[in-house]
Amino acid sequence: MDIQQSLIERIRLADRQGCNALLDAWATEHGYERLITDVLDPAMMLIGEEWSASGTFTLAQVYIAAKVTEDVLGRIASMRKLSSECRPSKGPVVIGNIEEDFHALGRRMVGTFLRAEGWIVHDLGNDVPATVFVDKAQEVGARVIGVSAMMMTTAHNIRSVRDEIDSRGLTGRIQLAVGGAVFCVCPDLVEEVGGDGTAPNALVVPGLFDRLWERSVGKEAGP
Amino acid sequence: MNSTERIMATLAGKPLDRRAIAPVLGLYGARLTGCPLDQYYTDPAAYARGQSAVRETFRPDVLCAPLAFASIGAAFGSELVFPHTDVPNIRRPAVQSVDEWDLLVPPDPDKDPRLLYFRDAIRLMAAEHKNQVSIAMVIPIPADIPGVVMGLESWLETVLFDPAGTQQVMDKVNPFYVRLVNGFFAAGATFVVMPCGFASPTIVTREIVTAFTRPILAQVLAQLRGPVILHNVGAPMLPHLDLLTGLPSVAGVIMDQRDDLARARRVVGPDIVLFGGLDCSTISEMTAVEVEDRCRAVLEERRQDARFVLGTSGPDVVWNTPPENIHAMLRAAESFGSIDA
Repeated sequence: MDIQQSLIERIRLADRQGCNALLDAWATEHGYERLITDVLDPAMMLIGEEWSASGTFTLAQVYIAAKVTEDVLGRIASMRKLSSECRPSKGPVVIGNIEEDFHALGRRMVGTFLRAEGWIVHDLGNDVPATVFVDKAQEVGARVIGVSAMMMTTAHNIRSVRDEIDSRGLTGRIQLAVGGAVFCVCPDLVEEVGGDGTAPNALVVPGLFDRLWERSVGKEAGP
Repeated sequence: MNSTERIMATLAGKPLDRRAIAPVLGLYGARLTGCPLDQYYTDPAAYARGQSAVRETFRPDVLCAPLAFASIGAAFGSELVFPHTDVPNIRRPAVQSVDEWDLLVPPDPDKDPRLLYFRDAIRLMAAEHKNQVSIAMVIPIPADIPGVVMGLESWLETVLFDPAGTQQVMDKVNPFYVRLVNGFFAAGATFVVMPCGFASPTIVTREIVTAFTRPILAQVLAQLRGPVILHNVGAPMLPHLDLLTGLPSVAGVIMDQRDDLARARRVVGPDIVLFGGLDCSTISEMTAVEVEDRCRAVLEERRQDARFVLGTSGPDVVWNTPPENIHAMLRAAESFGSIDA
């Protein structure tokens, strides 16, 4: 069994210690820098794809995946501090739960997986008004805002972020990613609230942000 | 038959004049009466008026007592927020970590006003409707209660990584829970519906259900003085349903609209009532004709099932659902006709 499959099996067993031991052993041989690109990213992508396609992973298992990712990022960060190295970042992005939404867990996991991919994540927390999302995006130069909502009623509040982006003349420049349980049940909701894209789960959000960032750059560059 | 007779006959597997219907319309009562939600979810009389309006408008066979899990968290000290068109939610949990449970004293179900709200609402509804309509109280299973006190993330972390802390928390929650729920029965609840978050196949593994959730359920449900209906918590329930069979007090299961009801019947056996039909969120996006067609399809599929109730899965039917969509459920049940035992 290869390293990615071994990691996935340990995540399936909700075995955080086993995951870390496995990853540490691999990194001792191949180095921590390659751990993210060669092991963690592909394994998380596989879990995300399987979770979307067949629902065979649980929130608890994905939470373990997020904790293991945090553990690895923590170890790499301390090593970089010691060696004064700096990994090039992909750029700043903004995430948060829309006004009146207080379901933080999914958003926090999204933040973890985005950081692992090299994004500088500005997490605004729960119950965030549309103006605050767009203000922050403009302040930090983010091309993607990720807005989360769990319920149908709060999902409709995301429309206000779309309106705020458009009214400031930022259409296309700032891309709106939307997500949360309700978007899986009602896929038409993405268009209804003015989203530029969605992802079926936290693990595949980094891929969505890559695509939206490129789309933003492309729109700005023109035809 | 009146609604109570229809539900009781369903529980007993006896013939019915028509299928019972049980859309979850707790929240919808506020829309019908125009009651602000901060009042609706704190004033038992305002809530009971909303349910009277629900009964008068839609004639469901089950009325729901307040579905407001966050208010249980508030009784422990969590800070609430009242959205304009949805049930209360938690702005800030009462505690942040398992260590803080040491000092936490569970609220007294006989004295805490936020808990008495539920009981008083049930009492008022029972006084007005009990002989005609069943009254369901909805409260999460005991293993989910810490989530409204410390937040889901902290609780998940505790369950996954701290068995001793988990035990310490549940030692406080379980006796509180038994007193609270038995108080609901004493006030007039016909049955108690329990969303099973920590048994859901979308949330936890089979190992967690087996080692953690089920033993707690077995212990707590044995102490309850009334029937319990297990609930899907808005996600497919079938993959873990076998882990929830044979528990004391359980009279029924509310399945998710994506679950295969025939398979569910095979898993739970002939004596358990199955509820199923429509999703509480998507019903707002459908036309009345689509709702009626979907209901008729479900009713046809369960034609031979004596113990089946047409209902909605997930939490409350959402606020913006057109009334004609809810009327369509009853119309489907009425036009479908009687059910032989």
